[in-house]
Amino acid sequence: MTESALRLRGLRKTFPKVVAVAGVDLDVARGEVFGLLGPNGAGKTTTLEVIEGLTEADSGEIEILGLTWARNGREIRSRIGVQLQSTSLFNKITPREALDLYGSYYPRRRGTEELLALVQLEEKADAYHITLSGGQQQRLALAMALVNDPELVFLDEPTTGLDPQARRGLWDVVRRMKAEGRTVVLTTHYMDEAEALCDRLAIMDHGKVIATGTPASLIADLALPSIVELTFEGTAPDPAAFEAALGLRVEPRMDLWEIPTPDPKTLLPRLLEAAEAAAVPFQQVHIRRATLEDVFLHRTGRSLRE
Amino acid sequence: MLWRQFAMEWRLYSRDRVAMFWTMAFPVILLLGFGTIFRDSGGPKLAVVRVATLAPGARDAALDQALVDLQLKVVALSRTEAEARWARGETAAQLEPEGEGYRLRLNSYLMAQAGATAGLVNQAWLVAQARLSGAPEPRRIPIQVESPGRKRSANYASFLLPGLLGLNLVSMGLFSVGMVNVSYREKGKFRRLAVTPLPKWIFLLGQVLHRLTVTVVQAAILLLVGYLVFGIANQGSFLNLALIMALGTGCFMAFGFALSGFAETSEGYAAISNLVFFPLMMLSGVYFTLDSAPAWLQHLVAGMPLAPFLKALRAVFNDGASLAGHGLGLGIVAAWGLAAFLLAVKRFRWA
Repeated sequence: MTESALRLRGLRKTFPKVVAVAGVDLDVARGEVFGLLGPNGAGKTTTLEVIEGLTEADSGEIEILGLTWARNGREIRSRIGVQLQSTSLFNKITPREALDLYGSYYPRRRGTEELLALVQLEEKADAYHITLSGGQQQRLALAMALVNDPELVFLDEPTTGLDPQARRGLWDVVRRMKAEGRTVVLTTHYMDEAEALCDRLAIMDHGKVIATGTPASLIADLALPSIVELTFEGTAPDPAAFEAALGLRVEPRMDLWEIPTPDPKTLLPRLLEAAEAAAVPFQQVHIRRATLEDVFLHRTGRSLRE
Repeated sequence: MLWRQFAMEWRLYSRDRVAMFWTMAFPVILLLGFGTIFRDSGGPKLAVVRVATLAPGARDAALDQALVDLQLKVVALSRTEAEARWARGETAAQLEPEGEGYRLRLNSYLMAQAGATAGLVNQAWLVAQARLSGAPEPRRIPIQVESPGRKRSANYASFLLPGLLGLNLVSMGLFSVGMVNVSYREKGKFRRLAVTPLPKWIFLLGQVLHRLTVTVVQAAILLLVGYLVFGIANQGSFLNLALIMALGTGCFMAFGFALSGFAETSEGYAAISNLVFFPLMMLSGVYFTLDSAPAWLQHLVAGMPLAPFLKALRAVFNDGASLAGHGLGLGIVAAWGLAAFLLAVKRFRWA
């Protein structure tokens, strides 16, 4: 039973105007929460859709739970759970009815009551879908992805557009999926979500995987895992002269300078001295650990949100 | 699985008040409304505005008497009053003295009424002249109104009812089937289904069966109201009626599937479907016959699917005809249905 939950080799998908997936290799082990992190348009959703059998790949191999679409389509559908980026239901269907109906499509199903409890929708079980909040609708979509007691669950941007509290609620559901022994593959463009939920990550950009690893290892792999920030009132000044005086790279952001370093303890006194000497009008100093955002920035030169 | 899908469609439909109104109540309202308004098969009494002659003579008196004898409503007005009424657009036909004789002005906006009035006014004029010359009174040919099958004298409700039955099928196909398919595709409902092991044909069949049963209920309600309120009953065999309705249902449902393959968005589909729906509704003899239209248009319409369908349906329903005489018309309907079906198979998309 050491077979992988998901194995991709050389996956490619081209649309008339854009190469959406440009040769992706991935291995997801059973029982892990695996994240595809990347900005909008990186190819995350297309990669998922190809895996889920919604879109046909131009080339490449897909093995899901040791099965292939060519030979085992129906069995794959019975054993995976899918939450699409936007799940559209009838306005006047209730969560209970939706779970009963979708459950009836599968040979093996979980009880509706149990699912409602899992996503904490018992009180809204008989309310029309259209009356549910965004977070409740999204929790229902997660419950629908679990109706068949799936071994492998795909979640496409499960928390996009939700408020912080609703996001935490969804994170709890994903953690419970993992606790129940399911494999979860999710996409996100939130680095905090990737860090909080994922055992391992693949960072995607322009249809390619540019880095794979645990969140901690991806950050540790940065040569400069700490960042000192000098914040300014208003727009940060041009750091070119200061950069030369300090002898280190200084990256200007909106209202701050970032100075990546492997050793903030040694840097700090030197930095403050140089800033004093150059009369840099900074307001505050922060030291923070690098995040996945910095990993992405370092690898692509661009921010995740751009 | 199929039963479950079908039952869920009905449950959701029963919660959709707007859809219920348009499919179940609206056709009944049309039948009751129009059927009552045009209850007298003769239509409203025709009226002619008579502009008074300054110094009326025996000839004027004879003409006025003949107008009344021919059942025309005569509105006698002075020239000023008559001109004001004409300007308000209320007058269909105005008879006024001119030179030694008369002139009849017809309102181009009310030609149906004005044309009929003109015929009667001229008849009255002939009668008046005969009376003045002492010649024997011309005898009119007796008129009897009846449907092609001579089953009974036709009233408007019995003409309208089969028209509404047919129109229901068209709107079911174009809107309930076609529109819903486009919106499911647009909103990703089909995609959500595609990741489950449910065979897609079960979903579609459940949907089609639901629309079919809605159509049956809808037709039953219309027939019942027609019978109870207007005393309209099916004159033909129910088997023939069912066969024609089944053919029409298949044809127009295929239309919906075919057209849904041509639109990306609901808005786009609304434009395409109305482009098909309105000409079919206006030209196919749902509410009125097209017998005053140019011949080329009548030929064109006879080749479209709704008109021959309604012709056969009316023949069976109103006149108790057999299907034999309508082979060509029903063949045209079947040909359209087959063409639409083939197009649907070629164009239908899930995503």
